[in-house]
Amino acid sequence: MKVMRAEALKQHRQIFGSKLVLFSMLVWPLLKLAETYYTLRPLAATPGIAERWPLAADPERLLAFLATGALGFTFFFSLVQSAWHFSFERQTGTLELLFLSPANRLVVVIANGFAALVQNAWLFACFAVAMFTLLDVVNVAHPAMYAVVFLAMLVPAVAWGAFLNSLLIFSRDAAFLYTLLDDPMWFASGVRLPVFALPGWIRAVGSVLPLTGSLAVVRGALLDGQGLGDLAGELAGLAVLSGALLLAAVVALRLGEARAQRTGQLRLF
Amino acid sequence: MGGLDPLRQPHAVRKRINLIAGGERMVYARMTGRENLWYFGQLYDIPTKVLKPRIEELLALVGLTNAAATRVEQYSRGMTQRLSIARGLINDPDYLLLDEPTLGLDAPIARDLRRVVAGLAERGKGVLLTSHYLAEVEQLCEHVYVIGDGRHLAAGSPAELMAQTGCHRTVRVTVTNLSPQIEAAVRAFDSRVRLAPGGVIELNHPDDLTGALTTAIIEAGGALGGLEIVEPSLEDAILALSDRSLKVVA
Repeated sequence: MKVMRAEALKQHRQIFGSKLVLFSMLVWPLLKLAETYYTLRPLAATPGIAERWPLAADPERLLAFLATGALGFTFFFSLVQSAWHFSFERQTGTLELLFLSPANRLVVVIANGFAALVQNAWLFACFAVAMFTLLDVVNVAHPAMYAVVFLAMLVPAVAWGAFLNSLLIFSRDAAFLYTLLDDPMWFASGVRLPVFALPGWIRAVGSVLPLTGSLAVVRGALLDGQGLGDLAGELAGLAVLSGALLLAAVVALRLGEARAQRTGQLRLF
Repeated sequence: MGGLDPLRQPHAVRKRINLIAGGERMVYARMTGRENLWYFGQLYDIPTKVLKPRIEELLALVGLTNAAATRVEQYSRGMTQRLSIARGLINDPDYLLLDEPTLGLDAPIARDLRRVVAGLAERGKGVLLTSHYLAEVEQLCEHVYVIGDGRHLAAGSPAELMAQTGCHRTVRVTVTNLSPQIEAAVRAFDSRVRLAPGGVIELNHPDDLTGALTTAIIEAGGALGGLEIVEPSLEDAILALSDRSLKVVA
């Protein structure tokens, strides 16, 4: 908990302290949501769309579908941003100090991701909840499903953040992941289009991204009234994927630290 | 390290060490001085009751009490470096690694840091100082390792290194009426005597022969115009060890 609090303060001061950060927390996701909505809305007039994609025929449900996608993407992409910022600690020399301290490395990368997630996503999450309420599109099987939805986004996102952090802090050249995981993740995870509408190879890519499973749970629970039994497969898949990401983070941290000890590369940037 | 194996017990070792490096890196620019110390205190799992007074104590030690609530990005270079020193002491380390700690510091602050380091050593802390400032090394270190081109060249106390490299006290006598008789007398006195322009007679010798040399000159009819005694320095020893660029680890 101490490391978590420390990382939260650090992230707040270093990244989220400025009022301008509101643009990335709310304005930017809103613009992307509006762009997507008004791009897809003409689909409602397409003959036969209600049979192929029923949601698209109902503008309010389409907006709710896209808003859940944007919310999920905000959760996961905030961790990509956080990992990108973490990689700059190599330049400030503080990365060396983190590794010189007795703090558990996995806890540090998880705390860093969690702190970024909470501070980056809360505003858009509040907005999304308000929007769902106003649209009156929420169809939940049981109130406990709200907790399931929250955990289905939080746990995989934190595991995802730990994995990205463990990669980016050891590799000076891993910044390309930032670009790779922006639009491609948005597309392959079904943020703005249903996964069934995507080509097979893109669905295969999306299946290894935890955002895909999180969105399946969020949309199933909030918009389609599915319960735990209906979503058991997706939830089990998310649990396995989250475990695998955390395991990969542990391995990356061990290998990276051993290599850094051998080469002294943490001093390089 | 202190009976611990760094490879098998890295966690226990990390709790007992810390690092202070020169320059303006290694602190968070958008956090205040106090917040930086608090952050690192959390990483070292220091209990709150211990951490709070220690932060204030360290801020006072490095003269940053009045700037504790100011963001580091508004600090001068010297203030940032002083904060880095306080950060390095946050876990009251048994072993302190100092990497060019006075780099870029004002002379009074560098002197204060040396006092702090000397005080830590007196309290039984192990201090490993890496520095190119040989006067600092000579002042602070009991044992010196000389590294050049990545190779270990020599080790010992500053006095031992000077002795190993033939660096001794130099006696420099200026004679106002230097004559062939005086020259013959001083050459007979010791083969290490060297005659320099301007009537200067130099003797570099492991023993203190100042009295004997001046007596020999006077007995030969010489008149003394000046007497200078130059003590050897660690820098002389290092220069003697290699003409190449050297790194001194003490």
